This record gives sequence, C-alpha cells and structure tokens, in this order.
Amino acid sequence: MKALLICPASRPAVPHLADSGPLATAPILGGCLAVHWIEHLAAMGAREITILAAGGCDRVLAAVGDGAQWGVRVSVIDSNFEPTREAAAERYRPHGEPGWLPAPYDIVPLSHLPGCPQMALFEGYANWFAALAAWMPMALTPARVRVKEVRPGVWIGSRARVSADAELIAPCWVGDQAVVGAGATVGAGAILEDRSVVGARATVTQSWVGPDTSVGPMTSVAHSLAWGSTLIDWRTDSMLRVPDPFLLCSLAKPRLAATTDRYGRSLGTLGTPEAQGTLIAALGASFDRTQNLKLSGLRPEKVL
Amino acid sequence: MKIENQGECLSISDIQELTAQNSASFRDEVQAALGTSPGLIEINLSKTRFMDSSGLGALFALYRATAKRPGVILRLLNPVPEIQQLLELTQMQQLFEIVRR
Repeated sequence: MKALLICPASRPAVPHLADSGPLATAPILGGCLAVHWIEHLAAMGAREITILAAGGCDRVLAAVGDGAQWGVRVSVIDSNFEPTREAAAERYRPHGEPGWLPAPYDIVPLSHLPGCPQMALFEGYANWFAALAAWMPMALTPARVRVKEVRPGVWIGSRARVSADAELIAPCWVGDQAVVGAGATVGAGAILEDRSVVGARATVTQSWVGPDTSVGPMTSVAHSLAWGSTLIDWRTDSMLRVPDPFLLCSLAKPRLAATTDRYGRSLGTLGTPEAQGTLIAALGASFDRTQNLKLSGLRPEKVL
Repeated sequence: MKIENQGECLSISDIQELTAQNSASFRDEVQAALGTSPGLIEINLSKTRFMDSSGLGALFALYRATAKRPGVILRLLNPVPEIQQLLELTQMQQLFEIVRR
C-alpha cells in the first residue's frame, strides 16, 4: 500500500518552529511530525511512503531515513512548493490508482498529528502546544519502547534521570535522556523533549522544552515554548532570546555562542561571577517565596 | 535614563536597556536618589527593550535596598512582553509589584 505525505512550507503564525529546520522535522514528543506519521501509516499497512518536501529535503531525509525501521520504503521528493491535497492527488495518484491506503490516509497534509485532525499544529503557538498536550497519551505507540508510563499521565524515557526529590505532576512527558534536577517541579502539562535538562529547583508547567535545551536552576518556565535560548509565551506569542545561558540555553551549541545580545554585540562581562551571584540570590529569594504556594502532594520518585 | 523626584514618588523612566554596560550606574544613581526617602518608587520599563542578568541584578539590589525601608513601595510600570517574560523566567515578578497603565 502506498501513501503520500505533504510537508508544510513556512507558516507565518509559528515562524520560530522552523528556526532549526523544516516544520515536518520539528521535534514532537521524542520524534518529529513526519516520523509520527510514518509510524502511523506503517501500522495501517503502508509499505511505500512518499514525502513531498517544499525545501529542506536533506533535513527531512535525515529525520526519517529510508524507513527500514518501520518496514516501509520512504522516498523524499523536493516539490519546491506545498501542493494542496487535491493537486497532489491529481499528480501522484491520477484516476484513483489502486494500491493506496484508503482516504484520507492516502494523501496526508502534515498539518496535525495522527488521530488528532481537529488539532491544527501550525495556526499559532498556542495551537501547537495544545495539540502536543492533547497528543501526549497517544504518543506512546508500540514502536516506542524507550518511553514508559510510570504512573497515570506521567511518561518517562527509559534513559531519563529524575532526581529523587523532583516532583512530576501529571500530565507530563520526560523525554529520553532528559535530566530533571533536585527539587525541580515538572508539570502539570509539561513536555520535556529528549536530552533536555531542568536544573535544580526549576519549575516547568504548561510548557514545552525542546530537545538539547537547558532550563537553568531555580528558573520558572510557564505557558511557554523553550527551545535553545528562545522562549516563546504561547499565550501572547511574545518571543524572547534569553541572553544568559545559565537561565536558558541550547546544549547543542557552544555556550559562548549565546554571549552576544540581539544586535550581535559582545557582552564581555555578561555572566561574570558577580552578575550571576546577584541573580542567583534573587532567584533564591523568589524561590523561597514560592515554597508556600506548592500545593501538589504527589510523592517524588526516582527513575534511573 | 530619567530620574524625577515628585514628592513622595520617585519616578525612573527612559531606560532603553539594562545590561552589564549600565546596570552599575543605574543602581548607583537610583540608590543615591533613595536618600530623599520616597514612599513610592516607580520604574517605568515601557521603553526597555533589552535586559540581561546584570540588569536583573540591579533591580534586585534595588528591591533589597527598599525592603529594608518599611512602607516603601517599589513598582515596575508597563514592562514590554519580552521583559515580562524574563521577569517570569527568573521568578522576579513575585518580588515586584508590576503595574500596567
């Protein structure tokens, strides 16, 4: 059986999701949109999947490979533009050629996650986060053996490290090889992608933390998408490039790369021990105030 | 940066950015103005487009200085969304009264 996936081109409502590559390869709960759809279609019986990518073919190909791990053959075509479903059908499945998955799974525009057609991903950051949060319970497919639901609504990667006194509040997702530091609070509604790090006594709620992203100790990420040094409040679409790596930074790049401001000027004294010490004192004062606000009574657990 | 002493209110405005370059002078100038014992300190952040940890540290130093003076209110006025995000990330919005008007 054949199927065709149409990758989204640029989406003005979510420009920063494409900062690191095509939208089809944006990280979602341990995979990417294209990978989740290939898994889904393979489970439905597809054996030959073609991906139409409007640019960024190499990145898409690198993300999905040849499809052998799902028992399918994947090919990526550079379409130069994003065709509509009808236009793609006319070109790639003329006259309703047999041997394809039944509609609507024969030709799928990658605008939503499998099983969630009502949750559009790219109409705004709030939609993106809502779609991911809604899809969390469906993300644990049989093919994904490295993530387990350790208690209702709490999913943890098998190689994640969660401190014994960290607090995980359902629903939350801790990706593979993620690290949650001592006294940190993750959830409710938190998604930590693979290899992300949440520092000691930090809080992540109603937020998505991208892969290879460090959330600094004692910080608070709420109602936001945090990826590298970029912080987006999904309620207001406000975007901040956090200038100080010890607050929020990418672990995939040298840390020194973040020591320039938004004009590209060098911030020579940024991150000096004096500045960091003062801020850490401030964070400590804020943290002490928040202790009385913690209402969750869930017991912390150790997962190693 | 403009510092105006309006009787009981000390108003600080026109702060373009608060970074390692100017946070020390900001802190010193404001603390010098605290000598007039104002009951209300308003820091207008509506024109502040960029702040880093040094700027946050300067605000925190001001918070500590006013915390020692009973009855003194410290307010941040109209922070732009990016600065509001930074205050929330560092949980410093819990230390300050943030007012929009």
